[in-house]
Amino acid sequence: MKLLFLVLFFSSLSFSAEGDFNCGTIECDSFSADTTDLASLQSGLTTYMNNCYGCHSLKYSRYNRVAKDLKIPLEIYQENLIFDGSKPGELMNISLNEKDAIEWIGAKPPDLTLEARIRKPEWIYTYLRTYYPDSSRPYGVNNKVYQNVSMPNVLEDLQLNLSSAEFDKVIYDLTNFLVYVADPSANERKRMGVYVLLFLLLFTSFAFLTYREFKKELKQK
Amino acid sequence: MSENTIGKKSLDWVDKRFPVIDLFERHLSKYYSPSNINIWYLFGFLLLIVLVMQILTGLWLMMNYTNTAEEAFSSVEYIMRDVEYGWLLRYMHAAGASAFFALIYLHMFRGMMYGSYRKPRELIWVGGWVTYVLLCAEGFTGYVLPWGQMSFWAAQVIISLLGSIPIIGEDLATWVRGDYLISGITLSRLFAFHVVLLPIMIIAVVFFHILALHEIGSNNPDGIDIKKHVDKDGVPLDSKPFYPYDITHDIYALGVFLLIFCSVVFFFPEGGGYVLEYVNFEPANPLSTPAHIVPSWYFTPFYAMLRAVDFSLFGLTAKFLGFVTMAAGIAIFAALPWLDRSPVKSIRYKGVLSKAFLAGFVVSFFVLGYLGAVPPSDLKNLLAKVFTVVYFSYFLLMPIYTRLEKCKPVPERAPEH
Repeated sequence: MKLLFLVLFFSSLSFSAEGDFNCGTIECDSFSADTTDLASLQSGLTTYMNNCYGCHSLKYSRYNRVAKDLKIPLEIYQENLIFDGSKPGELMNISLNEKDAIEWIGAKPPDLTLEARIRKPEWIYTYLRTYYPDSSRPYGVNNKVYQNVSMPNVLEDLQLNLSSAEFDKVIYDLTNFLVYVADPSANERKRMGVYVLLFLLLFTSFAFLTYREFKKELKQK
Repeated sequence: MSENTIGKKSLDWVDKRFPVIDLFERHLSKYYSPSNINIWYLFGFLLLIVLVMQILTGLWLMMNYTNTAEEAFSSVEYIMRDVEYGWLLRYMHAAGASAFFALIYLHMFRGMMYGSYRKPRELIWVGGWVTYVLLCAEGFTGYVLPWGQMSFWAAQVIISLLGSIPIIGEDLATWVRGDYLISGITLSRLFAFHVVLLPIMIIAVVFFHILALHEIGSNNPDGIDIKKHVDKDGVPLDSKPFYPYDITHDIYALGVFLLIFCSVVFFFPEGGGYVLEYVNFEPANPLSTPAHIVPSWYFTPFYAMLRAVDFSLFGLTAKFLGFVTMAAGIAIFAALPWLDRSPVKSIRYKGVLSKAFLAGFVVSFFVLGYLGAVPPSDLKNLLAKVFTVVYFSYFLLMPIYTRLEKCKPVPERAPEH
């Protein structure tokens, strides 16, 4: 067993870290998240719930937290975005179980709550926009960022019916939503951080003046 | 005035039963520090503050954390999302760990520069070194608790190192893990060490460290003995009382430190992947090894030493020799008081050899730190070997070069500044 791990460990070190932080076969497109843009987050949430949520849970997040942060009235949220009768306070789990998923798709689709922290938003944004036809693959599509990915191009309809700019915007909003859901306290954190730093500047100024007074006193001695 | 009288009466009442005034004088208002100490002498105070902060944030995290393999990862996300200000506690604790190591490295380097480990401060130095070793254990055990991919695989790599010890290794590793693999059993024992055993030991050793320091007093950048020249009351001439002169400097330093620390906590909580590793946002998966296993940045110099030893010798495996080298890299600090044979303490008066070897140590520490964090290659492996030798030569050749070189004369009194 030890030997196995040793081999795993040292062999793993000989590969360079590929895939996770650059975009597979291509350079990542640039992406700048704006989690204060509520309209974008709401549009991203809608796209997510209608196209991704069937397979990809957001199991560390709660429905009502998302509703509250995105300023969506709870009744509207419940009527339009909770499909399985879950209570608003529940975690965003899906009913697809691992056994069925492996039987139907061949792999268990990962939970995506933290995907934007693991993969980075640029990766997600680029990945979802770089599906291309490839008849050698089971679903007839392949991806430039994630070669031989097992996920079909779920958003194909949108990609075909929207202009390129419109489709980019849909994916931008979706990625933006994933950035939000990976660290939902980020807006509050940054807002609070400004006040904390202002207070510390004041504190440090007074601490400096006190220090200087005592230093003067010491010099006179 | 009447309040003052009540206050004074209460103080008297307590003082007759517990020596408050005596303690205040002995450790603060009549505790004398050298007049020539500089900003390198601020890190001890900051370390104490970080220790308190880690204990407090850790306590609150513990109230909401679940130490089982099934629940650990989701309980951390529960803290991040559902606990009031849980994100703040978690980010402070994670950044606090990095701050702890950054500060302790600076604190140790100060001691190395100015010869603070020399007689009569050997026990202060060794006590500090024990704190550092305990802190390494604390950092490692804490790193495992979120039970992400890197938590799991780092634990796997580190504990499997014990398995390389000849004869007893494999059984020892199993005993430490409590299982044949890293599992929930390992997680819950590391949790117990992290929240009970190690913090108690760290607090005890820090107490010893400060008590020993207050008995002997601080060294200074010139390495002179300020107690040689005292006034009629026995107060050293080149000194000032800690309270209020040093404490006001320390509080000013605390403000500057907190500005940097809070900028990280509130605006860059992942610290570019150095405070919180991106891979660790994926739950532990024993069946999938991450492409690139790295320890936290504060262990990378030693990790580079481990990887640098890729040859077996005298029937001992490369892994075991690497493990010994890595452990020696940490252990050798404790021997400094007995390796240094120079007639002077401070680098200011030591000769060119001491300066060159200290510079070599600093460069090797940074280069090894870099090499330990990136995927290896032939060239990088060669560099790691070279700089491991440079690192150890600072320590092992010290008895020779400190005796060979010509030192400058040390002044009797602290220079005016």
